[in-house]
Formats: sequence, structure tokens, C-alpha cells
Amino acid sequence: MKAYFFAIALLLPAISFAQDRSIRPQAKAAPTINIEDSEVFKSDNGITIILSENHKLPRVSFNAVMGSTPEAEGSLAGLSEITGSLILSGTDKRTKDELDNEKDYIGASLSADHNSVYMSCLTKHLETGLSLMSDALMNANFPQEEVDRIIKQNESALISAKSDAGTMAANARSVANFPKGHPYGEVMTEETLANINRDAIVEYYKKTFTPEGSYLVVVGDITKEEVKAIVEKYFASWQGPASNKVELGSGQFNKGNRVIFVKKPGAVQSVISVTFPMNVKPGDPDYLKLTVLNEILGGGVFGSRLMQNLREDKAYTYGCRSSVRITENGSYFAAGGNFRNEVTDSAITEILYEIEQITDDYVKDAELNLTKSSMAGGFARSLERPSTVARFALNIIKNDLPKDYYQTYLKQLEAITKDDLLMVAQKYFTPKNCNIIVVGNEEVIDRLKQFDADGEIEKLDAFGRAIKETIPADITADQLIEKHVLAMTQMPNMKKAKKALKKIKTMKQTMEMTMAQMPFPMKSTRIWTAAGVQAEKMEAQGMKIQSSYFDGNAGYSSNMQTGKKELTEEEISAKKKTAGLIPELNYAETGMEYEIIGIEMKNGVECYVMKTNDGESESYDYYSKEDFKKVAVLSISQTEEGTQEVSTTISNYMESNGILFPSEMNISVGQAAFDVKVTSIELNAKIDTALYK
Amino acid sequence: MKQITLAVLSLLLGSTAFAQRKIDYVEYDLPNGLHVILHEEHATPIVAVSVLYHVGSKNENPDRTGFAHFFEHLLFEGSANIDRGEYSELVEKNGGTLNANTSQDRTFYYEILPSNQLELGIWLESERMLHARVDSIGIETQRSVVKEEKRQRVDNQPYASFITETFMRMFKEHPYNWVPIGSMDHLDAAQEADYVNFYRTFYVPANATLSIAGDIDVEETKKWIDKYFATIPKGEAINLYRDYENLTAEEFSAKYGVEKSNFKKESFTTPTDAKAKALIKKLSNTAIDIPRPKKTDERPDGVIQDVVYDNIQLPAIFMSYRFPDQTHEDMYALQMMNDVLSGGSSSRINKNLVEKQQIAQFAFSFAYGLEDAGMGIFAAIAAKDQSLEDIQKAFDEQIERISNELITQEEFEKIRNQYENNFISSNSTIAGIAENLADYHVYYGDADLVNTELQKYLSVTREDIQRVAKKYLTQDSRIILHYLPKESDDSEQDKN
Repeated sequence: MKAYFFAIALLLPAISFAQDRSIRPQAKAAPTINIEDSEVFKSDNGITIILSENHKLPRVSFNAVMGSTPEAEGSLAGLSEITGSLILSGTDKRTKDELDNEKDYIGASLSADHNSVYMSCLTKHLETGLSLMSDALMNANFPQEEVDRIIKQNESALISAKSDAGTMAANARSVANFPKGHPYGEVMTEETLANINRDAIVEYYKKTFTPEGSYLVVVGDITKEEVKAIVEKYFASWQGPASNKVELGSGQFNKGNRVIFVKKPGAVQSVISVTFPMNVKPGDPDYLKLTVLNEILGGGVFGSRLMQNLREDKAYTYGCRSSVRITENGSYFAAGGNFRNEVTDSAITEILYEIEQITDDYVKDAELNLTKSSMAGGFARSLERPSTVARFALNIIKNDLPKDYYQTYLKQLEAITKDDLLMVAQKYFTPKNCNIIVVGNEEVIDRLKQFDADGEIEKLDAFGRAIKETIPADITADQLIEKHVLAMTQMPNMKKAKKALKKIKTMKQTMEMTMAQMPFPMKSTRIWTAAGVQAEKMEAQGMKIQSSYFDGNAGYSSNMQTGKKELTEEEISAKKKTAGLIPELNYAETGMEYEIIGIEMKNGVECYVMKTNDGESESYDYYSKEDFKKVAVLSISQTEEGTQEVSTTISNYMESNGILFPSEMNISVGQAAFDVKVTSIELNAKIDTALYK
Repeated sequence: MKQITLAVLSLLLGSTAFAQRKIDYVEYDLPNGLHVILHEEHATPIVAVSVLYHVGSKNENPDRTGFAHFFEHLLFEGSANIDRGEYSELVEKNGGTLNANTSQDRTFYYEILPSNQLELGIWLESERMLHARVDSIGIETQRSVVKEEKRQRVDNQPYASFITETFMRMFKEHPYNWVPIGSMDHLDAAQEADYVNFYRTFYVPANATLSIAGDIDVEETKKWIDKYFATIPKGEAINLYRDYENLTAEEFSAKYGVEKSNFKKESFTTPTDAKAKALIKKLSNTAIDIPRPKKTDERPDGVIQDVVYDNIQLPAIFMSYRFPDQTHEDMYALQMMNDVLSGGSSSRINKNLVEKQQIAQFAFSFAYGLEDAGMGIFAAIAAKDQSLEDIQKAFDEQIERISNELITQEEFEKIRNQYENNFISSNSTIAGIAENLADYHVYYGDADLVNTELQKYLSVTREDIQRVAKKYLTQDSRIILHYLPKESDDSEQDKN
């Protein structure tokens, strides 16, 4: 054979070097791209059916996707995931073994997750496949032994997660970008897993797997008439409550960069994720622009800025990429990759530089053109999969996109300008307010401080929970109190300090409180007298919205919603324990429980931590190790709505009659945060306590 | 965790492909020895252009392991006509995508492009074949990138070192002793001469298969292949051309005894000078000797048991057996045996170890076929508080059962149905078709297996499956690796 070809070669001297290889081939005319329409229709019980016919191969797939918005699971975090992995564990008609056997026998694939059930098989096995799928969808019965098995399996999975850097980074990203109470901000832990039981699973399943508002996406070798008959035969009897659509809140936005470190012992690389939430939804016209912007910054192509800078130029990594994840229920940006330990800090510097750069300046024309062509090519390639067209149809319906969105996709892409990109970069990218997540070896941690706005690195465990590092204190609680009192009174010894405090008979303090969500500031006035009166009133726009009064033995609290309420015995007892200009001074006599916990970092300051309990609430007070001023308080109390945490940071002290008083505070309760500024402090003025009753 | 396991699986399983429907193709050799396979289909306006070089880690020098894969990275750096960084840019700015991968046996490059850019794809691959160019910046950069790739994919990945650990114990003589990622020290030690020799030996048309699939016109495609690939000199003449581009006039004449000026770039293979003519003729007829190891019969000498400590939380076990090479007839029965054991959720291993006994978090087996030898691996990650001894016992029970009893008729029908389903579903993308055609041609010498291989599976009997189980699952010759957690300073973290 070879000899034969060689002979031909000799006869054909035309095959020679008679051409210039440096001339690059020109493209032929661009091929046309056709996107066929999907059929969309509704069943009587509220299922939206989307059909994309494609008869190239004798196979069909059915995907049932539920319509409800995900819900926060709180102490049951992980419930939806566990339910999803149990849907194929048996039905009223079939055991798990039977289901597995029947499915494997026809070579079908059948899978389920927290809000969908998917089946694909050869057309000739369709009836069997659908019988299995619809059975699982409607009649899953969650046998107790399967529930036990899956929970056990997840216990093992949680243990494994501690050695998987990618999972750890994803968990940290969830809690960093989304607040507690948002389903995207929740991570399953050993505790939440232990709370999940069969009742909760069944309740979730019944509520979520319901026809009204759901979608049935059908792709492949099947006609509309056949689908209609199938829906009638297999899905018409499906009943359930209406699906639950709610608007979820946004992610949580930082002030300043926040470094989060997760320890992975023995790691040879750091997994870095620079991330922040974005307020944008898939139906937004900015969506495509953000996608183009991300492609240029760090999307799929080798030519992206992050890839060129961190891989091709600096060789810090095998790959550095960014992504914009935009969903109906919450959206975020993330950039990063895996980097050897030694360059962890340099890699962060470069990633932040690239994010900042793209918000500062226009992208280059060449970059924009490359990206548009590359995305247009990716769009064309995606059409090779028959499921693409059905996915398009589902997106149009779910996200309220124009009907011809994908038909005109290439035109929309072409129309995007560099002005558009700078606009969306500045609107959504927050290079100064990022979460910088690093999962890696502890040896890298010292080099991360420089990136954190307050210099304090937050340490999380594998599941996004804060790790406190406490070292033993070198002084006792009483010694700490003494140092604090001396610091506040600026006196050399306790005798002089007490004398100075005795001279103060009354105090009146006015404060201004502002909150991002509130258009006007609130005014608060507090009084204290040596005779034992403590009172406070809060006003907004001249209206009293909240007040409290305590004369040393009894009193009341009042607010606009609930009216006036006498203080309970517990409240009176607690008030007595926190009385005094510097309440710490009296702890030993008032019966306050107090103990020193140790030394911890707080807001970048090394602090002594003292724990107190006045019977009403537990409190952790942080005193600077350097000057013994109080820098933060974390107070935890049990209310009817559950545990309430109030976190206060104190950033500035002002002097009055030789004594220091806090002058700036930030108080946060749940998602609300107040900035408090002390506007005046008057000491020993005459106070008409009646005005505060 | 699921992701880790899937990643490991996909790493190992490779592609077991069958044709979905008749795949029509044409194939032929160019005079310079390049094998060409073309498949035309117009469903989507895209094309896949691929070149398979028959060189992998098994062709490496034992003191230069990792070189084939490293070379794959270098061959994106450019050519005499393509600047550094431009190779991928040319593909991406024209709406395409590109990548490559390296196994023990081959290095595979591909571009997927809009069909109007087919000529570009052909030109790009011909440039890579004729005169790739790498500068020292490129070498240093890619050396670091490959090290990061190894850290990311192996060192920092729980359990991922088991492939390296298993192969080095299974093959003491054959170069399957090491895996494609190789040794980073060896990469550091590499000299310029190593790169030049590797390129001159393995990156030549007679060692390559060009496979193109998609929205093409076969006749037009052939013309472009003639233009860009048929013009690549044959035999050692390709290296003469490379020297012509890279050596000075003095170096060139000293090496060949012919003046460089007697050659012209535009008509390199048809010089007018008699000495040059004779040299071209001689070198064109000098085939390049491509060193290849031989298929091996070596197998573990007894039961080799070892412990590996890794940064993991749950212990794991990996038991390996010698299987024949991928082209051996027994491989069909072994693949089907493996499906009875581990194909789908109703398979024996999953039902038994994971669901019934609940001793394993994940458990599976796979049949690993390579050009010169194969391997069967049983792998499991222990469930919390379960012992590896119990898992090993459970695996052994399964091995005993499949060796001593025929599989049930129902199981037999089940796996046959699964193969039929795979047969119809595979080859659903043009990139997959291009790759499968090239693989079948190179390893089996028969690209048409893309259409006919299902018959090989359907002719396997229950008795065949029991026979191969008995023959290859040899309890007295196997490797057993226990993965245990490294002692760590993690205890404090666990309390929180």
C-alpha cells in the first residue's frame, strides 16, 4: 500500500512546497444557524410541557422540573438535597431494588434531585421508562431504612468534605455571599443533618413535587400527539398544592474586602475564590452584557485576561477563571483557581487587579471582538445537543424573555459595545468590597492580612462556620475590670478612679442613629443618675417610638407597637446587674456572672474576652489588650422568635470631665445595622427625670 | 465527594464507544505516511479537526517521565508562522474551541470550529506538525503550569495518587510503570536537546492520524489537506526542512555536506541542485525509527499489599488485577463482566457493599484497557467507622461468585440492553466521532469498529464472562492498596 502511494507521489510533482504557508486561510461565508421552535403547551393540572422534537436518534428524554422557589431550611439545612437523593428509593408500588432493576434492565438513566426527576431511554422502552419516572415523581414513599441509609451516607460525605478543598471553598462562598435566612447562604452540617427525619422529608416532597407550576421538558424522538397522550396517561392523575413562588432577598454586600480562610492541612495549593453578590436576574437586559464582560475577564477562553495574566504570563496556576452565576433567586461573581502556596498572595493581588482594571477602563476592541466571535461559536456548538433547544424554551418561559430571544441572540451579542461593558462593570462589580476566600495550608495565612479591610482574617471550618481561636488569658476577670476602669477614668489607681466617678451625679447622652434602609436618622437620649435612674427614649422625626424607664427598683418599657409594659422580675434583676456609669465596677456586688474566656482577635485588635450573664442575656465583651478600652460586645438572648444576637462594635471614645465615653458604635441585629454617633454628653447637669417617664 | 469519584471514574474509564448508526467515512494515506479519516455530516454547521500522535508516556525515557504531556503543552506555543499566544487566539477569535490530552499511548489535539473555518483548522494543525516553535519563555512558563496541573489534579486531590501508586507496582519493566503526569524533577532536568529529539522522532506525519468530522465537503477538504499536509516532507526529510529553518548556513552544510542556499523555502522538496536533490531523495526514503515498547506479560508476583497515607478523612481500598491489552478478544467479556459488577445502581457491588452492607461510601470496579496491557481495579471509600478489611472481604465474595457461577439470565439481558443503549447514544457529537475513528484506526487498525464493535459484545456468552473472571481475577496475583488518613493537626478543628 505504501509503495503504491509513493509511486503516485513521484507522478505528481504538483505536491510540492509551491505555496506560502505564512498566508493564513480566509474564512468562507458564515454558515446560517437555524433554531427550531419548541412546542409549548399546558396540561389541565398545571404542568407546562416543552417539547423539542429531534428524530436523529431513537431515544427520548423527559425532565420534570418543579416550579417552587427554594426555601431557607435553617436548622434543617440539607433537607432538600437529602430528599432529592431519596426520591428513587422506593415507591408505593416498587421497592428500591425493583426500581433499580427495571431501570437498568432497559438501559435507561433515571435520576432525581431536590426539584427534578429526569429519565432518558431508547424510544422502544419509553412506556417502561415513563412508568418508572412517573411512579417516583408521584409516589415516592421514603422507607425508613432508606432514610437511615442516606443519612448515614451523608454523615460519611460530610467527613470526606473536610479533605476536599473545592467543596470547602464553595461552602465558604455560600455563607460569605448570602445571609442566613437565604437558601443560598445555607450549608448542611453534622448538626442540621442530625435534625432531618422522615417526617420533614415527606413534608418537603409533598410541598415541592407538585404539578401546578412545574415544567416537563421533552427532547428527542417523539411527536406532539404522542407527548399529549403520554401526559394524559402518566401525569394527569398527579395532584398537589400550588407551587410556592416568592421573592428572595439579595446577597449580602461587604464594606471593604473581607478575607476568609479555611484550613486544609497538608495542602500544596491554595484554592482561591474572589467573590461578591450581584443584584441582577436572568431576565435583565444586563445579563448578556455581564456574560460578555465575564468572558473577557476570565470566562472559558484561553485568551481571557485572568488566564493570560496568571497562567500564560506568571505561571501561577494551571487555570484561573471567573464566572457570573445569575439565577432568579440570587446571583454572584466568582474568580479564582488553584495556586501553589508560595504565590497565594501574588495571585490574589493579580485577580483583584484584573477585576479593578475592568471596572476602570474600556475593554479593547480586539478583546471584545474575540469574545463575541468566541461566544457566537459556542452558541453554534451548543446546538449540536438536542437538549439545547428545549433548554432555550425553558429559559424563555422561566425568565420572561422575549419569544425570539435565542433567534436574535447573535444580533444582540453583536450589538454590545464597550460602553455597555464599562456600564455593567461599574454597576455590578465591587472590586473594593470582595470576599476573598482561601482554602489552604496554614503557612499562607500571614500573607493574607494585607488584603483584609480591617486586618482581621475570618477563619471558617469546612462548612462555613466561624472558628474562634482563643488563647488563655494572662490576667483574671477582676484584674481586667480594674484595668478597664483605670483606662476609662484615666486614673493611676482604683482609689482615685472611684473618687472621680463619685463626683458624677448625673449623665445625659444624646445620639444619632442611622440605618441604610431608613431615609431619616433617629435620635436617642439616655439619662443616668447616681440615685439609680436609667432611662432612654428614641425618637424619629419628632415622634417617640421607643422608651424605657427604671428607677432602681421598678420600671417599664414601651414601644409604638406593643405599648407600655412593666418590667418583669428577671428584667429588673438584669437591670440591677448592669447599673452604674461603668457597670463592670459593680459586677462583684450585683451578682452578675462573669468570667474571663481568654484572648482573641476582634476587628483586627487583640482583645481580652469576658463572658457575662445577667440572667436575661449572655454577653461576650471584648477589651483591647493594649489599652483596655471595650471595642466590641456580642450579646445573645433567647426571644420568642428564637436566638437573637446583637453585635456592637465601638470605634471611638470621647472625653468628658476626664472620663472616657464611647462616641461611635455600629450595632447589628440580624440583617439590620445601625451606625450610632454620640452627639453630646452632659455630666452633672440638672435632669428632670419626669420627662423620661 | 460525588464529584471526586466521578472525576476519578471519568479519568479511568476513557471512552468505550460504539457507533450509534452507520458512520460513513473515507480514509487514506498521504505519501508522507499521514493517515487521514474524514466523516461528513451536516446536522450542525461545525467541524472537528483532530490530530492523534501515536506517542504517550510509554514512549518516554525513564529519566524524562512526563515529557509527552509537557510537550503537549509546548505545542500550543506557536510555529514559524504563529507567534506565542496566537495559536489559541486564532481559534477563539474565529468562534472555535481547542484543547489536547495525553495518555500513556497517545497525544491528541483538536479544534472545533464553525464549518466556514475548516481551512484554518487544517492549517493550524499542519503548522504544529511541520515546524512548531517554542522559546525559552514558553518552556519555563509551561513547566510551571504543568507543575500546577499536577498539584491541582493529583497532589491536592484526595485519593488521586492511587493511579500512580498502582501502576508503579503493577509494571516493573514496562514503561506503564509511570503515568502521563510523570516526574517534576525530570521536567526540571530537561535540556534543549531533549525537546528537539522528541519533536524530530514523534511529531512526524507517519506517526500521526488526521481525523476530521462534521459539516464538511469531502473533496474540498481533501484539497486543503493536500495543500497543507501533503506538502510536509516525508521520512527524515521533514527534519532536514526543520534544520533548514533553524540552522545557520555553516551548521547546515557541516551537518549535511550540502549548502543551505541550494534549497529554497518555496520549493524545498524540488531543488534544482543535484546534490540537494539527492539528499532530499535519500532522506525522504529514510523512514524515522519510532521506538515503541512491546506488549508485556508481567504481572504481580504474588499479593502485593501496601499502605499509602494521604490527606484524606475516610480510608479507601484499591485492588488491582492484570487484564490483557485493550485489543485482546477477552477484553469484551471483561468489560461486560465489569458491568455486571459495577454498571448501574442495580449492579452487584453497589447493591451489596453500598446499599445492603453499607460498609462503603462509594464502591465500584472498572476495566482499564491500554495499548500494551490492561488492568482491572476494584475501588471503595469506606463509610464512616467501617473497616477496609470488611470491604476487601465483600469484594472477594463478589469475585468468588462471578468466577464460580454463571451470571443470571436476567443480568445477562440487562447488560446486553445497556450495550445496545450505549451503542445508539454514543457518537452523538462530531468531536467524539473524530476521536473514535482515530482511536480505532491507531489501536485496532480498523476504523470501522465504530460501526461494528457492538457485534463483538453481543457475541460474548455467560460462559465467556465466567471464564474471563476466573482467568483474570487472580487472588494470588494482585495489588492491594490501603489509603489511610495522614496524622494531622486537625484534631483541634474537629472540636469546633
